[in-house]
Amino acid sequence: MKDRLAAAVKQSRAGYTEIRVERTWSSAVAFRGRRLETATVSEDQGGFVRVLNQGCGWGIASFTSLDDLPEMVARANELSRAVRLDEPIRLAESAPQTADAVLDLDGDVRGVSLSEKKTLLDGYNAAMLAVSNLIVDTQASYRDEVSEVWYVNSEGTSLYQLRPEVVVSGTAIGRRNGSIEKGLESIGLRKGWNSVQGFENQFRIVARRAVELLDAPRVRGGAYPVILDNELAGVFIHEAFGHLSEADFVYENPQAREMMTLGRRFGKPALNVGDNGAAQGLRGTLPYDDEGTPTQDTALIREGILVGRLHSRETAAKLGERPTGNARAISFRHPPIVRMTNTYIAPGKAGVGFQDLIRDIKLGVYACGAFGGQTMLENFSFTAGWGYMIRDGRVAELVKDVVLAGNLFQTLDRIDHIAGDFTWNQMGGGCGKGGQFPLPVTEGAPHVRIEEALIGGDV
Amino acid sequence: MIEPLLERARGKVDNADALWRREEQTAVAFESGRLKAAGISEEAGLNLRVLAGGRMGVAGTTAAAPDVEALVARARASAELGELVDLAFPDGAASRLPSIPTFFDRTANASLDDLIRMGKLLVERLSRPDCQVNVSVEREVADTAVGNTAGARGAYRATGIAVTADVTRIAGDDVLMVYDQYVGADMPSDADLETLVRSVETRLTAALKVVTPPDGALPVVFTPAGLAAVILPLEQALSGKTVLQGSSPLAGKVGETVFDERLSIIDDPLTPGRPASRPVDDECVPSRATGLVERGKVGRFVYDLETAARAKTQSTGNGRRGVFGKPHIGYTNVLFRMASDGARGAAQHAAPLPGLGGGLIDSIDDGLIVDDLIGVGQGNVISGAFSHPVGLAYRVQRGEVTGRVKDAAVAGNAYDLLKRIGGFGSDGRWLGSRWSPSMLLEGVSVARR
Repeated sequence: MKDRLAAAVKQSRAGYTEIRVERTWSSAVAFRGRRLETATVSEDQGGFVRVLNQGCGWGIASFTSLDDLPEMVARANELSRAVRLDEPIRLAESAPQTADAVLDLDGDVRGVSLSEKKTLLDGYNAAMLAVSNLIVDTQASYRDEVSEVWYVNSEGTSLYQLRPEVVVSGTAIGRRNGSIEKGLESIGLRKGWNSVQGFENQFRIVARRAVELLDAPRVRGGAYPVILDNELAGVFIHEAFGHLSEADFVYENPQAREMMTLGRRFGKPALNVGDNGAAQGLRGTLPYDDEGTPTQDTALIREGILVGRLHSRETAAKLGERPTGNARAISFRHPPIVRMTNTYIAPGKAGVGFQDLIRDIKLGVYACGAFGGQTMLENFSFTAGWGYMIRDGRVAELVKDVVLAGNLFQTLDRIDHIAGDFTWNQMGGGCGKGGQFPLPVTEGAPHVRIEEALIGGDV
Repeated sequence: MIEPLLERARGKVDNADALWRREEQTAVAFESGRLKAAGISEEAGLNLRVLAGGRMGVAGTTAAAPDVEALVARARASAELGELVDLAFPDGAASRLPSIPTFFDRTANASLDDLIRMGKLLVERLSRPDCQVNVSVEREVADTAVGNTAGARGAYRATGIAVTADVTRIAGDDVLMVYDQYVGADMPSDADLETLVRSVETRLTAALKVVTPPDGALPVVFTPAGLAAVILPLEQALSGKTVLQGSSPLAGKVGETVFDERLSIIDDPLTPGRPASRPVDDECVPSRATGLVERGKVGRFVYDLETAARAKTQSTGNGRRGVFGKPHIGYTNVLFRMASDGARGAAQHAAPLPGLGGGLIDSIDDGLIVDDLIGVGQGNVISGAFSHPVGLAYRVQRGEVTGRVKDAAVAGNAYDLLKRIGGFGSDGRWLGSRWSPSMLLEGVSVARR
């Protein structure tokens, strides 16, 4: 395959040419309530060509028929030439890479029968349903894939990558008359069959929580001191800051560049933030990005100060910085754009724990788990799965509908304590941007305390 | 592609149905006012569902020359694990399909230069010294064919075009984002593009001044875009699947008045000019309109073949399927109408904007206009409860828009709020595949820092 792509690249008349071909084997099992929804095996494949000419813009072609490869290269070239640019697009230097990067499959999912996968998921689904008669509905799904990705460009990079992925998730719906609540568990890793065994208890816990939430009051709206658990703190940093650090937001926008000047203070000295696509076995892990740049651990905030950002080759050239290996596409159907991988808040002092964060809070909220988050850059939301009131330094009653409203310039700077109990999230799900969803990413964080944050609700 | 596949399946399985779809897209993207990229995408796929031994299985492929033998074998393997389901495929007699134009020559024939010209025009009209303008134009031509072993067939060509403009204004540490989109099966007229420009400008201009948000239980005008959080619970609850599973708050309430008696909601796949319109669904069921809510009463739930069979009712023609996975329930065009409003929403995209709030703010002493909320869909949606920070919202004082509010959060329950609607705006419009006017809702919780 590499030779076939290299031949097509060689024939290209464009200044710069890259070709990415993917072949993805996947299987999926889903239950809804006690019924099996589907159990299927799929194969998806296709190619992506992107070219650039001097004084012109990007020409792009994506296709499912590989027989058309030379024609698609020619058409991408025509498209590029139709886009005239005064200021040329430049690509930052990225040393040519030649490698076969095969990630650990940790139990090759292709060697496990569909009925074994059904049995595994059946067990998790049954664990949720068995918790209570009040669990009226469940959604359980298992999905795995092994993706082969070939990437060749006209600068000499030639890569083969084997990327596994496995996600198990379950939603339990509790209902008593008109009151309906849900609990959500999901496990997503860039690994295989071995990594999703033995989670019955976690699924039981979320079903129990859905039942408990039926009796919980809605949180009252207002500004509170808030402690985020590890999972929600991870989602928080992804939304609060991660997206702002993606350089495609700033590189063409002088006002945004000014707002995001390196050296600007965003948090207290305790705050350290980064993005690490090279970490082992996590959902956002990959050896090379979709432009062939090796991934790395990129520092974004060091001791409260903005020190870096995430780049593609194009954004790095424009800002005179170095590519960071963050140009990613969800599939051959899309061009690579600047995305996060595994984004984290680094742990605070070892030994600092949850008790140290909660001790002096008179009235506050302990926000736990994550249903999701979304950002409009300055303002963002992050939705907890559940929460507890904090009263006089202790965890008090369970509350529901805990949605936090964040502001980049206020919320980050109000992080006043960071615990030492760092963990990586192992959630499935994914990130959406520019019509590309879901991109596998994850986050990591310790418990984090925000002096004051806005929570929606009745006031 | 369908015929040889169904032919191959015959005899090997009890019954089968299949969908073949081929899509060609052309897109141009302007970033910060400059044309940066042009692209095409071509994709074809085949999805097969079989009933074997009374059990259902599915398989799909994007291979250019699909191995139909292997596809049938994969679908049968999937059926071995599947549930028993008493599924009856529609027969050929049902294949007299309604006539609905889905293909527009102007859209299909638009050249790359035509798309670039349209994008350029928007960039020029929206440019302001303090703003960055991104515009994208995406055109799609799709061929769809469906068929089953009971003899039903359907095939149609469809066009679609989406023109998207977003404007970002950064002043110091204030980030303002305003976005709008034209979506249609036919090309936008000059008036449609003008409406898009005015919609962005109106919302941008009113947002330049930032004011303090109010708090308390307040009257809030939800614009057609802002309504998403309020409508999402209803869309989930009106799905026959949710009803079957026992998690729909509307289950068992057909014929009961649950909403304001002026509110009607229909799902209509036969609305002219819309990309979601089609003569037949993805399971060979001829298209027809479904009254979801009729003058405040719960009407029909939407079903595909499988959920209809389980609920012992008929499919409403809401079966949708992709290349991979089995068919599922999908809405087509969802139209929100006041009972007195006899006009169909069609071709109203170009209706002149009456200004922010659709004429609903005169009576508001202190409240909000909500145009965009952040994180919609991420809470406990099915319960009707929502709570979101505002993305784009304006304060209304003594009947006037006084400025944009930030750092505020709105919360409520869709079922409580829609019992009594304070008013329907005169600004009804399409937003993707939904048509609605603004709505004034009373007693919405607004929290601020």
